[in-house]
Amino acid sequence: MSGKPPAWRRYVRFWGPNVDADVDDELRFHLDMRARDYETLGLAPDDARRAAAERFGDIHGIGDALRDHDRRRERGRQRREYMSDLGNDLRYGLRAFTRAPAFTSVALITLALGIGATTAIFSVVNAVILRPLPYPEPDRIVQVWMDNRRTGLHEDLHSFANYADLRDQNRVFSNMAAYYTSGYNLTAGCSESDCEPQRVAALFSTADLFKVLRVGPVMGRAFTAEEETSGRDGVVIISHGLWTRLFAADRNVLGRTVRLNGRERTIIGVLPPGFTFPNRDTDIWVPMALDPDSRQQRSSYGFWSVARLRAGVDFPRAVSDLNALGRRLEQQFPSNKDLGVYLVPLTEQVVGRTLRTSLWVMMAAVGAVLLIACANVANLMLSRAAVREREMSVRVALGAARTRLIRQLLTESILLSVLGSALGTGLAWVGLRVLTGLAPRDIPRLDQIRIDLGALGVTLGLAVVTGIAFGLAPALQSSRAAVGGALREAIRGGTGGRRAQRLRRTLVAAQIALVVILLTGAGLLIRSFMHLQRVDLGFRPDHLLTMRFSMPGAKYPTPQARAAFQATLLERVRQVPGVQDAAFISDIFLSATPTSTTITIDGREMTPEEQNVEVPLDAVSPNYFKVMGIPLRHGRTFTAADNLDAAQVVIINESMARRFWPNEDALGKRFRYGGAQSTAPLMAVVGVVGDMRRTGFDTPVRYETFRPHTQWVVGSLTLVARTAGDPLAMVAPVRAQFRSIDPEQPVFEIASMDRLLSSMVAQRRFSMALLGTFAALALALGVVGVYGVTSYLVAQRTREVGVRLALGAQPGQVVGMVVRQGMVVAAVGLATGLVGAVVAGRFMTGLLYGVGPFDIATLIGVTTVIGLATLVANWVPALRAAHVDPLTALRSD
Amino acid sequence: MRAETGDLLQGTLAILILKALLGGPAHGYGIARWVESTTDDVLRIEEGSLYPALRRLEDNGWVTSEWGLSENNRRARFYTITRAGRAHLRAEATVWFRYAGAVTRVLRSSPALS
Repeated sequence: MSGKPPAWRRYVRFWGPNVDADVDDELRFHLDMRARDYETLGLAPDDARRAAAERFGDIHGIGDALRDHDRRRERGRQRREYMSDLGNDLRYGLRAFTRAPAFTSVALITLALGIGATTAIFSVVNAVILRPLPYPEPDRIVQVWMDNRRTGLHEDLHSFANYADLRDQNRVFSNMAAYYTSGYNLTAGCSESDCEPQRVAALFSTADLFKVLRVGPVMGRAFTAEEETSGRDGVVIISHGLWTRLFAADRNVLGRTVRLNGRERTIIGVLPPGFTFPNRDTDIWVPMALDPDSRQQRSSYGFWSVARLRAGVDFPRAVSDLNALGRRLEQQFPSNKDLGVYLVPLTEQVVGRTLRTSLWVMMAAVGAVLLIACANVANLMLSRAAVREREMSVRVALGAARTRLIRQLLTESILLSVLGSALGTGLAWVGLRVLTGLAPRDIPRLDQIRIDLGALGVTLGLAVVTGIAFGLAPALQSSRAAVGGALREAIRGGTGGRRAQRLRRTLVAAQIALVVILLTGAGLLIRSFMHLQRVDLGFRPDHLLTMRFSMPGAKYPTPQARAAFQATLLERVRQVPGVQDAAFISDIFLSATPTSTTITIDGREMTPEEQNVEVPLDAVSPNYFKVMGIPLRHGRTFTAADNLDAAQVVIINESMARRFWPNEDALGKRFRYGGAQSTAPLMAVVGVVGDMRRTGFDTPVRYETFRPHTQWVVGSLTLVARTAGDPLAMVAPVRAQFRSIDPEQPVFEIASMDRLLSSMVAQRRFSMALLGTFAALALALGVVGVYGVTSYLVAQRTREVGVRLALGAQPGQVVGMVVRQGMVVAAVGLATGLVGAVVAGRFMTGLLYGVGPFDIATLIGVTTVIGLATLVANWVPALRAAHVDPLTALRSD
Repeated sequence: MRAETGDLLQGTLAILILKALLGGPAHGYGIARWVESTTDDVLRIEEGSLYPALRRLEDNGWVTSEWGLSENNRRARFYTITRAGRAHLRAEATVWFRYAGAVTRVLRSSPALS
């Protein structure tokens, strides 16, 4: 036995134990001792050694086992030690943060906002713009429009004959398809008795559509060209969604029949999940079976078209080929006069130019916010490093290892970045929820938006790198300058390096410039929106309920049958308590491509321009104008007497009256739809109503012609009801009237007029709200940046200010000096920003309404806001400086 | 294990080591020697299993080890029993006494063994 070993022995193996040698030592010691004991018993040294080894047994095996065990234990110990060091650093860092709550919270909020906003917006942009369409080589697909120079509408629909000529004569497309969309009353998957028909969106297309898209059914087959003839077109392809929804993903669905508008069609195919064309609402695809007459039609326009570029053909070549073809057709057929061809890549078509522009503007805006945030973090880190410079140099002087200090600073920077990143990620998640909630529903692929991990990674990386770089750089510098310089500066109470100061001021000026650009952009959008809100719609949009219904031709074959249903319905709806009045119109809002036609005026020559003017046509019930609040300017509205047996009458709007009868009374004038050869009946103008904007706030008023729904009996109508209270509260009782007449009649597109209108400006409102938020965010961050830097500089100059005050300077002079210096920086930033804003504004032209990109009022407003904000941000710390007690200031070190 | 030294169960080896360390820190050879001398060489510690057993005791926190100098001035690893080790020894000893007593009573009961 021996006593406790001396304590110094513990430090012999300072650099950690040598496990293998220790095991050898321990075992050798054992054997040596045993051998020595044997020797004292009288054995020869060699024998004693051999006996000891024999007695021990398998010394190598045991040695190996011990070494393994000890190595494992040593690794565990080192890990624990490292973790406890890290724990210490983290605890120290957290304590340092809690001692500087202002710095910490501003840095964290800045990081979180920068990361969160950027990631959320980029995720939207990525999902909506950057992700390709769900077809192979989607950039080879183009939308083919008829360029209508008569109306100025570039994206107009083809006549079938024109489409067929383009398809057969072009040399640039591998496939070209025509299609049109329609709603259908669908009955399927239930027994006849309890069938509630649903409304589904259907696409009628030529068989080539699936070749253009290069997507085929996952089950069954696509159409064949033979099925494009009526009588053989009794087939339908359904979406994956409809298949799961209505047929419970039944594998034997092929060959089953569905009833569409009362007609049986056989299911021949199911499309893959995720397939959408032309939009995600479409659930059934039906072959387009036209009679030979319609195929020859060259002046009845109603067909969309898409095509796939042949291999080796690029977009510009396709454009020139199709333009040449369009000109040829124009010369060949008089009815094609002023009609051309207009191509748009499908990817661009789906997203839309306005949305694309506004999303890129958003991207630029968040990029700017991210830069401002990074500049803020950089500034904060620089200021903090400067504040701690003395602490660091004192610690170096006391013998702290430089690596240890750097490790501590690194830990703190990373800790801050990680905390900020966590907050930012959370914010991105919440932000994305809010964005997709606020976003207008017609943004494509909205349902596919997820947090984009790539974007999150990039922004996190940027934030972390900024934090570490600006947190560590000064530390490296100060620890290199080591004790001498920094300590001397500490003793003198210096103001930090000149270079560091210039860097900080540059960062602030850059921030202000970015804020100015963002504020200007937001200002322009807000002014555009205000202009829009002031637009007079020409009708009273409040308390209006609208819903559509479509009467299947199979069930209501004659105009008389439809008219009877409509008359009964209107009568019953008007009786519903809470409904003040109700009316019909064929389409409440004109679509971008309305049903329209040229007209021929009776009794006078028409100029060529007049011959090419197209007017939309609508069927309305007599009280429509009263229900909508559209003023009658001249003549009369329709009456019940304007029926199928009476003389044909029409009501036009003021714009149309001015266009065709500028200096005379339009009342009593007669015209017919169609060109000179038209056999349509002549109609007498019996009334002129006020203009109304039916295509949106931001589009010009169009000409309009209204016919009595009792003379032009259409199968699809919109019911408009003016209600006493909340229009949507009347949905159930009004719907009940439909059922009371025909239980199988579905109703769809139920909405209040307010909501319809607000959805028309939804994208604008969305853009405005987003950019406004970013601008506010940027302004807040920018002000924080200015305030922080001025505060820091002022704090550093406390001693100098003290000297000045002691020498008799007035507090006002001190304030003036500090503010002046700050405002010079602000002015530089403002000037740079204004130039940038004018340049940036040009990219936003497509988003503006009623203002140009160079809007003096907006620029003046922004200048004022920035001026005031930076003035306050400079003034407050300056005031603090001016009120220091000279003696305290002089003693401040 | 050799037949004449009796079966030393692992738990028993632990008890012996802990008991050996009650007298103060000792190195592995010291522990082996102490057991041999205390039991007049009846119980011989299987030296191959002594060191793994010490590692297990250390992992359990019942002993700690430290490098020190032996009585003949050589570097040796000394083992010390911890507070937890003492408590464990007490508990194990109680179990042992009860077990040994029971076996003894059985063996002494009539009829006698020979």
